[in-house]
Amino acid sequence: MPENKKLICYKCQKELELIKTDFTYLGHSFYTEVPKCPECGLVFISEELVKGRISDVEMQLEDK
Amino acid sequence: MDDSRVLYKTWSICPVCMKRISAERVQKDNKVFLQKTCKDHGAFESIIWRGFSDINEWVNGADKLAADDTKCPDGCGLCADHLQKTCCTLLNITSRCNLDCRFCFADQGCNTDEPTLDEIKKSIFKLIEKDKTLLQLSGGEPTLREDLPEIIKTAKDAGAKYVQLNTNGIRLSEDMQYVKKLADAGLSFVFMQFDGTDDSIYESLRGKPLLKIKQKAIDNCGENNIGVTLAPTLVRDVNIHNIGKILHFAIDQAPKVRGVHFQPVTFIGRAPEIPNDRDRITLDELVFEICRQTNGIIKAEDLLPSACDHPLCGFHGDFIVDQNKLIPLLKRGETEKKCCCDSSAAEKNREFVAKRWLRPTTNEASKDSCCGDIHDMDFFLKKVKTHGFTITAMAFQDAGNIDFSRLRNCSFHVYDKEKFIPFCSYYLSGWKQ
Repeated sequence: MPENKKLICYKCQKELELIKTDFTYLGHSFYTEVPKCPECGLVFISEELVKGRISDVEMQLEDK
Repeated sequence: MDDSRVLYKTWSICPVCMKRISAERVQKDNKVFLQKTCKDHGAFESIIWRGFSDINEWVNGADKLAADDTKCPDGCGLCADHLQKTCCTLLNITSRCNLDCRFCFADQGCNTDEPTLDEIKKSIFKLIEKDKTLLQLSGGEPTLREDLPEIIKTAKDAGAKYVQLNTNGIRLSEDMQYVKKLADAGLSFVFMQFDGTDDSIYESLRGKPLLKIKQKAIDNCGENNIGVTLAPTLVRDVNIHNIGKILHFAIDQAPKVRGVHFQPVTFIGRAPEIPNDRDRITLDELVFEICRQTNGIIKAEDLLPSACDHPLCGFHGDFIVDQNKLIPLLKRGETEKKCCCDSSAAEKNREFVAKRWLRPTTNEASKDSCCGDIHDMDFFLKKVKTHGFTITAMAFQDAGNIDFSRLRNCSFHVYDKEKFIPFCSYYLSGWKQ
C-alpha cells in the first residue's frame, strides 16, 4: 500500500487494514499481509505485489 | 505360453557391429526389456524397467519416433530430425586425470592429450549463445589445468550464462587459492563425483579412499560460495545400499551442497565387462531405493520423469532444506508439465537446474533465512534461494540399451569439432564378443 495513502472499501466505506492473508498455489499455502476490509474481507492486491513476490513464488513452484 | 507384449517399436544398434537395427520395448510380467536382433551377431536383450512402477505412466506417451524415420546415430551432430535444443553443453578440456577409475565414460587417464588454451577459446567463442549457454567443463580431470580460471573467465566474458565444473574434487580439496581463483573467474557451480559416505566405496570404484577429500572440497567451495552438486555413479553391489546415506549427507551439508545427481552405471568407455541384466540399475529401481532408504521422507511422487529429455533418461525433484528436513515443491500428477516439447524446453530445463545449483551472492544470502515459518511468503522466497535442493538422475545409454527415441530427445550435448553431439551418441562404443 502506498505510504500515506488510505485505501477505502468502496462497498463498506471502511479503511482497509493490513491483515495476514493466505494464498494457495499448486498445493502450497503462503501468507503475507495485504490491505483488507475489516468488514467484508475484500482484499486489495497491488500490481507491485502481483508482479513481484507473487510472480516470484509462482516461478519457484512451477515445474520446468 | 509367451506372455510378452510389445510396448513400443524403436531403433537401436547392434552392440557388436554398431549397425542400426530395429528394436522393441517388450514387457514380460512387470519387467520391460529392449530387444533387438542383428542378422550377423544374433539377439540382444537389456532390462530397462524392473516393474517397481508402471512404465507406461512414467513415459506418458512421450515417444515421437516414427518407426522407419531415423538417421541416428550416424547423423548426430545435430541433424534436422533432432527433437531437442541444447540445454547443457559439455566441453572436454583435457584427457589427463589423477584417478584411474574402474568405470569412466571417457576412458581417459593414461592419455595426455589436451587442447591448447587457444583451441579451447576458439571452441568457446563458437559454441556460446550469449546469456543462454550452460557450459560444463569436463575431461579427464579439468582441475589439472592451471589455466582453468582463464578458461572460465573466457566463457563468462563471451556470454556463457552458467559455467559448471565437472570434477573429482581432489584439487579443490588441496588448493584453496585455486578454488578462489575459479570463483573469482566466475565459476557458477561444481558437479563433484561423490559415490558414497564410506571409503570402501571409493576404494572399489576409484582405487583409493576419498571421503575426507570430498568433504574438504565441499568446505572449500562453501568458503568461496560455489554450490556443489554431488554426482554418485551407482554400481550394483558397491553403493546401491548407500543411496539413503548419500542423501542424508547432502541434506546435512546444505546450503553448500545444492543437490544429488544420481547416475546409474552405464557401460560405455571404461567398464569392466559386458553387463548382464543384474548389473543394470533402472530408473524405477532407483526411485524405489531412494524412497525406501530415506524411510519415506522422499516419496515417489516427489520425483518427476524428465520432460525435457525422454522420461526414460532421468527424473527431477525440487526441494527446500529447512532445519535439516526436505520440503518437496513438486508433486507428480499435480505440478508437472504434461509436455515440455516446445522450443523453449531446453531453456526452461537449464533455468530450473541453475536456479537451484547456483548459490545466491553473499549479499543476498546474508538476508536472514535461518529461522522462520516456511509459509511466510517472504521467508519462503529467501529460503528457496539459499536452501534450494534438487534430487535428479540421468540414465545414460550404452550399446546394449540405446534407444533412438530417447536419443532424439537428448538436450545434453558434447561440443566437438564444431558440432553439438548428444552425449550418449558421442560416447557410444561397441562391445567385444
